[in-house]
Amino acid sequence: MSLIPGLGIVRGMGLTLLRFFQPKATILYPEVPADVSPKFRGRLQLLYDEHGTLKCETCFQCAQACPIECIDMGGVDTKGRYAVHWGASETYGERREESALRRAGRTVPDVAYEHWSPIDLGPVDAILHDADHDPKRMLEILAATQAAYGYLPVAALKRISFGTGAWYAMVYGTATYYDHLRFAPPAPSKGAATDREVIEGDYLSGLGQAISGTTKPSGRVH
Amino acid sequence: MTDLLKTPASWPQPILGRAGAKDPTDLDAAVKAGAFEGLRIAVRLAPPGVIAEIRAAGLRGRGGAGFLTADKWHLAATTPADRRYVVANGYGADPATRTDATLIERDPYAVIEGVAIAAWAIGADTAIIAVRATETEAIRRLEAALGAAEDAGFIGGDVLDTGHELNVEVRPVQGAYMLGEETVLLKALEGRRGQPEQRPPHPAERGLFGRPTVVQNVQTLALAAWIMHEGAAKFRTIGTPDAPGTILVHVRGTGGAGVAEVPLGTTIRTILGLVGATTRTGPPPKALLVGGPSGGILPADLLDTPYTFDDLRTAGAHIGSGSIVATAANADVLELAELLTRFCSTEACGKTIPCRIGTRRLEEIAVRINAGTPRPTDADLIGDLSADIVASGLCDHERLATLPMTSVMRYFRPELDAKLQPAAEQAAR
Ligand SMILES: Cc1cc2nc3c(=O)[nH]c(=O)nc-3n(C[C@H](O)[C@H](O)[C@H](O)COP(=O)(O)O)c2cc1C
Ligand code: SF4
Ligand code: FES
Repeated sequence: MSLIPGLGIVRGMGLTLLRFFQPKATILYPEVPADVSPKFRGRLQLLYDEHGTLKCETCFQCAQACPIECIDMGGVDTKGRYAVHWGASETYGERREESALRRAGRTVPDVAYEHWSPIDLGPVDAILHDADHDPKRMLEILAATQAAYGYLPVAALKRISFGTGAWYAMVYGTATYYDHLRFAPPAPSKGAATDREVIEGDYLSGLGQAISGTTKPSGRVH
Repeated sequence: MTDLLKTPASWPQPILGRAGAKDPTDLDAAVKAGAFEGLRIAVRLAPPGVIAEIRAAGLRGRGGAGFLTADKWHLAATTPADRRYVVANGYGADPATRTDATLIERDPYAVIEGVAIAAWAIGADTAIIAVRATETEAIRRLEAALGAAEDAGFIGGDVLDTGHELNVEVRPVQGAYMLGEETVLLKALEGRRGQPEQRPPHPAERGLFGRPTVVQNVQTLALAAWIMHEGAAKFRTIGTPDAPGTILVHVRGTGGAGVAEVPLGTTIRTILGLVGATTRTGPPPKALLVGGPSGGILPADLLDTPYTFDDLRTAGAHIGSGSIVATAANADVLELAELLTRFCSTEACGKTIPCRIGTRRLEEIAVRINAGTPRPTDADLIGDLSADIVASGLCDHERLATLPMTSVMRYFRPELDAKLQPAAEQAAR
């Protein structure tokens, strides 16, 4: 007990006042991404809602993000095959809108989804047909798709996933690994140099400088 | 096309012996010069006889690590499986080395014959020759040669009337340095992202699509063909007892560059002499980069090191991509080490922590040393970090990626210390 009556209340109100002026901790997730350290790796845990239903929406975001594909989704697809792949665009759209409404009370914009509709899927369908819809020929399919569109549109990747039965995470992971594949039309100013050509070019010119002794060879350009 | 360097007439050429052909895809001319004679003998010897001959020759892989070829073939042949594969690694990961493409361009039949012999030895019905997609001429010649070899019955539905089936396919691959590593190459051939797998199981046990797969550098396969034709005993007269035979080396120096077929055990001085980088009169090179991007940076004192798998390892380098670079007399070795470390860390696949973070930290140390802002602990850190990466790495890439920095520590300590001076002064203050 304090000797001065009411001091506790003053102290308490003081703390309230202090907190009131401190920056807010609440963010409008998912519109505003959480500010976590780039090294944050979080623990994987699937949560259940109050009805005991799994909260996972099979959205594949985590599977896509994992560089070693240690995360995957299980389930039965429409053809009864084990292992879900991303469904047809319409189904995906309905499913994610519906679940977003249910879970967040509003829809959440999805950049990838908006890229979806405008492209003509005719060329990628022809490529898939020529490659026998064979996921083992993924690199061939991706290279042909890039040749057809100039880059790999997300909509085409999703079509490839659907057409080959390969998980979207795998298609995406494969496409992002190889430096000759790109996800946007090449910038006209840079010419058509792929990342690969830039990396190898820097290395070769650095080596050339070490041989001729002209300038510093460390190639510190990036 | 890369220049072939002139080598002494006394050096045998089991790899590039037919490289002078006017049209390397002319099958009749190649057969007249001895092509597919080794395959005929292999068929007569039956698979166990072939593996025994390769073992007697002491053939080691030319892809860098120098693994015993006969051990791989034996493991693949004896692992129970419904199918087996042969993969010829002609990717040539190092952008500064064109040894494998040079062989494919100049004598595609040597590679095809080696593939056919390996497939016969292990009982494989499918073989893939992986070539860097940008090597369009090599791919064109290989495809023409495959067509001719199939029409002549050296490969295809019935190899030399034995009833053995062998379908060979050329597969252009591109998009990452790591594709040269065998488990990564297999992933690419399966249409997946290219990250290495833990070994064991070795690909010879569980490789392409989970089946036993012999992955062999294209030079190794050409040598296997030569051994079947000329015999293991003759092969052993070339090179050294531990490392018999020859190897293709891409040499670069102030005086020029090119590819040469060199007997293993030749000194680095003699090899560099092929491009005039080591003359009696001129200044010696400041440093020798041996092994490619993850190679060791050796001082000119080590010019007399014999070019073998084991001698180079002892010196802190490795055969790697078959590249030898002689730097100018005034080159900055720490800048060179930074260049190599940056390349290696950029190319690391990101699968494991030593790969993803270890190589990046090593690059950061190199950068701040060269930028004149070193930390007092940096010398210790290079040693500790490299030891940790070597101990915990998943694949050989991150382990070897430590070599540029550790070899500079080992051989160019005064230069490193000079660059560490600012930090030492600050610590003393
Ligand atoms: C990072 C890295 C890159 C490699 N690049 C190549 C390459 O370009 N060509 C090659 O034949 N082997 C390369 N190798 C070695 C292969 O993993 C494998 O050992 C070799 O192809 C086996 O053939 P060999 O026994 O005939 O040498 C590389 C290894 C590593 C770790
Ligand atoms: S492997 Fe996957 S789960 Fe593990 S740290 Fe990396 S991203 Fe996260
Ligand atoms: S390069 Fe990533 S594990 Fe070796």
